[in-house]
Amino acid sequence: MSQVTESEERLLIEAAQKDPSRFAELYEQNFYRVYAYVARRVHDRAEIQDLTAHVFHQALANLGKFKWKGSPFAAWLYRIAANAIADQAKRKLRESNDQVNNLSASSTATDLEKVERRVRLFRAVDNLPEDQRRVIVMRFADEKSIREIAAELERSEGAVKQLQFRGLENLRNRLNEK
Amino acid sequence: MAERSIIDQLDDAVAALAEERQLDLTNPGPELSALVGIAEDLIGLPRETFKAKLQEQLIRRDSMSSPAQQHETNPVRSVSLYICVAGASAAIDFYQEAFGAKEVMRLTEPDGTIGHAEIQIGNAVVMISDEYPDYGTLSPKTIGGSSVKIHLDVTDVDTFAERAIKAGATLVRPIADQFYGARSGQIADPFGYTWIVSTHQRDVPIDEMQKELDKWAQEQSAKKSDEASGIKEPKMRRENRHAVTPYITVHNPAELIDFVTESFGAIEHFRATGSAGGMHAEVSIGDSVVMIGGAEHIQPMPTAIHLYVPDVDQVYERALRAGAKSLMPVVDQPYGERSGGVEDLHGNRWYIATPFVPLQTIAPDLHTVTVYFHPIGAQRFIDFVTDAFGGTELMRHAEGDMIMHAKVQIGDSVIELGEARYPTQPLPTAVYLYVNDVDAVYEQALKAGGTSMLPPTDQPYGDRNAWVKDPFDNVWYVAAPIRVGA
Repeated sequence: MSQVTESEERLLIEAAQKDPSRFAELYEQNFYRVYAYVARRVHDRAEIQDLTAHVFHQALANLGKFKWKGSPFAAWLYRIAANAIADQAKRKLRESNDQVNNLSASSTATDLEKVERRVRLFRAVDNLPEDQRRVIVMRFADEKSIREIAAELERSEGAVKQLQFRGLENLRNRLNEK
Repeated sequence: MAERSIIDQLDDAVAALAEERQLDLTNPGPELSALVGIAEDLIGLPRETFKAKLQEQLIRRDSMSSPAQQHETNPVRSVSLYICVAGASAAIDFYQEAFGAKEVMRLTEPDGTIGHAEIQIGNAVVMISDEYPDYGTLSPKTIGGSSVKIHLDVTDVDTFAERAIKAGATLVRPIADQFYGARSGQIADPFGYTWIVSTHQRDVPIDEMQKELDKWAQEQSAKKSDEASGIKEPKMRRENRHAVTPYITVHNPAELIDFVTESFGAIEHFRATGSAGGMHAEVSIGDSVVMIGGAEHIQPMPTAIHLYVPDVDQVYERALRAGAKSLMPVVDQPYGERSGGVEDLHGNRWYIATPFVPLQTIAPDLHTVTVYFHPIGAQRFIDFVTDAFGGTELMRHAEGDMIMHAKVQIGDSVIELGEARYPTQPLPTAVYLYVNDVDAVYEQALKAGGTSMLPPTDQPYGDRNAWVKDPFDNVWYVAAPIRVGA
């Protein structure tokens, strides 16, 4: 999905505040951002998913309280995510009696750049040619082996590796376009 | 060792990343390095199923609330309903048809048993599983009922209940305006759960509700003491009555009322003592009214009734516990129902049945209580009700000339019959029959071969009444409310 402008985003937020079913559009716009943001700090897939789900549930529940102050909606989501990640880290550390200090949850500019780069990458996957997209999704999201993918797609392993290579090449080119 | 192609090298790197192994790339060229960098960022690419499922969760949590549900401010449900049903798959189908539920997910075992399923009704999620006796997960069918009633807020309770009943639910309490500001009633699903369906109408302050409840409690106790002192109530209920209502006359009506209450969940609406010293009472069972009357000195007139219930096994057991004797144990019948029979202490025969399909798909006007006639000469009986009361034959099952089973529509009701073929039959019966024009129907009935027991007469209880005995000794109390100013 393409990026929206600030004023478009503002309209989306206002629409969702009036009618929660419109939240789907905000979700679509921001899903990769929240996911990538969480994935910067948390590496276990199940944990990333739990935290991402938590952020959106929180956002939806508190949408009425969101006030437009010039910063993008994503910044608000990042703050919810940062708090959630910090809470979880503290909980874990308490359990292991460890130090909390080096787990500052605030984001640096480099951090956010890396998140944005990843968001662009995830979006680019959505726009790959279908056969490449399927292989990339199965390999990286579904964590399947080349052999499993080959069996499922009824292609040779060589052909699947080829599609993976073409897909990554395509993604690199698309990221470099900007 | 031969040089591996860049495609293979890249895949080695991706495999290492996936397994969180150290990358071992000897002299990677700039192209391979760049692609490995992309692959590193792709590790943890979100799963499409997760993205879609989370969206579904968010949307169903908040956006599906209909206007009636918008007064709920907190969309997060801390408590959800988890029901166990015998036949979870059929139940999911039923809830979809009857309540407009949506299936969210289901997990099934290889044999089809549902281990866990979720459906959505309005903005709530209801979890469902089949029975797991080894884990103490039992359905109302097995444990003989559920003490939990489920409250369902809907936008239009009348339409909702109508659809549910069409799909096979049974009306337990009619839909009516309630003092607490809701219009509501109760329906039972075929799996043993009762749903209180309700539409919010107005906010009522709690102290006002309490006052109303106090008033009601007072009325109840006054009514009880009136009954004890034999004071007659002039009013009779006419709502929720169908054209055909059985009138069961027994020596001890109070005892029979206890029995139908205990066995069939009957609700008593009215009880009075008539001028001849006999009792007249009215109870509702499911969507039907049954009149019960009689006294020691009055000739009893037991009745056979086909009683359609959501769960025949449970009702049959309850009837036996309440003192009935079994006529036939509960079995699946080749004619599309699971049924068993009991005879109560007063000689009434109850053919208790749960059809395999929703009741109203058998005949739209088939009701919980359906009178079953056993005439000698079933064909002549059908002719009589056709000529006398404008009956329409809906179906028959015959073996040779003998009508084993037939259904005839009269007004908004269906009666059933089968040729008398057992010693306990024909078992002539009495029926209260609501018509539009008592005098005309009375004339018709006499012409068709009926005998007059009472010509059309205005009765003190507000009905115009004529009594006709048919050639098979059944008594028809033909009635209509007295028209004011007519």
